Amino acid sequence: MNIHRAFAITKRIFRGLRHDRRTVALMFLAPIVAMCVFGLAFSGDVEDVKVVVVNQDTEFTMPEINLPVSFSQAIIGNLDAEVLKVEYLGEVEEGVNRVKNGDAYAVIIFPDHFTESVYAARNPSYSGGPDLGDNTIQVREDRSNFNVANAITKCVSEAVLATAQQAGQDLPMKVDAEDAIYGKGAKFADFFVPGVMAFAVFLLTTLLTLISFVGERTSGNLERLQSTPLRESELVVGYAIAFSIIGMMQTVVLLVIGLAAFHIMIEGNIVLAFAVIALLAIVSLSLGILLSSLAKREAQAIQFFPLIILPTFLLAGIFWPVEAIPQWLRPLSYAIPPSYAVDAIRSVMLRGWGIDEIWVDIVALCGFAGAFLVAAILSLKRGRR
Amino acid sequence: MQSFAVETKGLTKKFGSFTALSNLNLRIEKGTVHGLLGPNGAGKTTAIKILCSLLKPSSGEGYILGKKVPDRSILPEIGYMPQETALYLDLTIHGNMMLYGDLFGLPRSRIAAREEELLDFVALQKWRDSLVSNLSGGMKHRVSLVCSMIHEPKLLFLDEPTVGVDPELRAAFWEYFDLLKKKGVTIVLTTHYMDEAQHCDRIALLRQGQLLAEGTPMDIVKSASTINLEEAFLVLAKREDGRS
Repeated sequence: MNIHRAFAITKRIFRGLRHDRRTVALMFLAPIVAMCVFGLAFSGDVEDVKVVVVNQDTEFTMPEINLPVSFSQAIIGNLDAEVLKVEYLGEVEEGVNRVKNGDAYAVIIFPDHFTESVYAARNPSYSGGPDLGDNTIQVREDRSNFNVANAITKCVSEAVLATAQQAGQDLPMKVDAEDAIYGKGAKFADFFVPGVMAFAVFLLTTLLTLISFVGERTSGNLERLQSTPLRESELVVGYAIAFSIIGMMQTVVLLVIGLAAFHIMIEGNIVLAFAVIALLAIVSLSLGILLSSLAKREAQAIQFFPLIILPTFLLAGIFWPVEAIPQWLRPLSYAIPPSYAVDAIRSVMLRGWGIDEIWVDIVALCGFAGAFLVAAILSLKRGRR
Repeated sequence: MQSFAVETKGLTKKFGSFTALSNLNLRIEKGTVHGLLGPNGAGKTTAIKILCSLLKPSSGEGYILGKKVPDRSILPEIGYMPQETALYLDLTIHGNMMLYGDLFGLPRSRIAAREEELLDFVALQKWRDSLVSNLSGGMKHRVSLVCSMIHEPKLLFLDEPTVGVDPELRAAFWEYFDLLKKKGVTIVLTTHYMDEAQHCDRIALLRQGQLLAEGTPMDIVKSASTINLEEAFLVLAKREDGRS
């Protein structure tokens, strides 16, 4: 192994990039765009959902205070205005039609004498008026959109709970999730930025080396290189140095934008995150070189893209946790190198973990890197058979 | 014993059941221009790749400057110009030459001197800092040639150096080969232009992996009792077919 020859390859890659603005733009703009699109569009919260409220409740004069009250009005007042955009209608029929026409996602129905029946349920001694009603709030949703429907149900439940509290009807039990052990005050962005970093580095490095090595092979450059004293291992190491540096540069850009635009939290030693990214870049470029030996032309290489992108996107725990993947699919998750990188970077950035805690991820990545590097070098040597 | 620049003994290369090169016996003297001549699929490129340690022979032996191939230690002594352009299009001429200079471990000053000398020769001095992607086909060809010579190899393997090259440049190439020859460089080149092969000191006629004839162009023409190499090739091919 002659490191000067490896550096010659590294230099060649950076010199080439100086004249290839399109690739440089792809390397840096694509992850930024991906991060912003996901960060803004996919912020994890449902907002501005149209719902219809049909309130058939009438005010009720509570005997203790001798004042008319309306629990339904109180609950409506407690609905989260950011999530729900409420329209009021008089008839249940009208509201149901709004949902049927797709103009609203749910109709929330407070039945006749709702307040009185709630009071009656709390005070068994109360004999009630002539037409005591139902104490159930009906929420009839369009559950075709699962996330939206869940958000509505959650909003109504929270409003009911808040109203009960205001009425002095505290539950005798409480849940307090404020004092988090890790990720106190974490937002969705804090969760996905580390994921996007690993995703971008893995994807771009694999695809760029794949394309670039198919080029090396078809252009005759690889043969010319192999007729010089350059060894296959030096060629791969030269690439590894270049793409680790590029991966780290991409990470810097994403971190700066993540900090500026999404105020992401960095609890741990960020240097460790860079080391993980560099390792991931080495894994990715070896994979790219390996795949390049299976493609005869650039056009064939492009057919590998979905093969690389989809499993990573779906299974690496970038946008949803590995725990959200069915149990029988999880082994696949563990077979994908970016899974470990995502986990490690997230642990460093959000949990503030150090090498003592993430060593399993590091060992796994080193294993992948070692195995893939050797396989990549062998695949290049195979040309000399 | 005289040491040849290139010597092959029964050199054979099979790809699966296909025999690309069969039992090639050649001796190429130092300081000569030797042509491997023949149609597409004759085994010329395979022979060159084996001699450049890019392929392993299936059987038989190949020697470069007395060393048996494949052998990494002779790589610094040889220069190889592949059939394809084999240049980095996103680098300048200078960038490409630097790369190969670095790979052969030449010091900076030596690379700079060689670069100037070689670019002068192929008249590309003023294009030194142009991207290769912006050059014409003939210019790329010239760059490809000089890239294989940055380290002053004793032996040059040129695979189809004159394909797609205009007549003027082709003539210039041949002048340059003569110049190199005078410096003691051995040149092994492939071509399927029979007329061009007249310039070689010796030629080997190849067809379907078989050596048809070897000798000076004049010898071969005479042995086939024809007036030029092209006809000699056809006569020898027919004779070979009749024998088998």
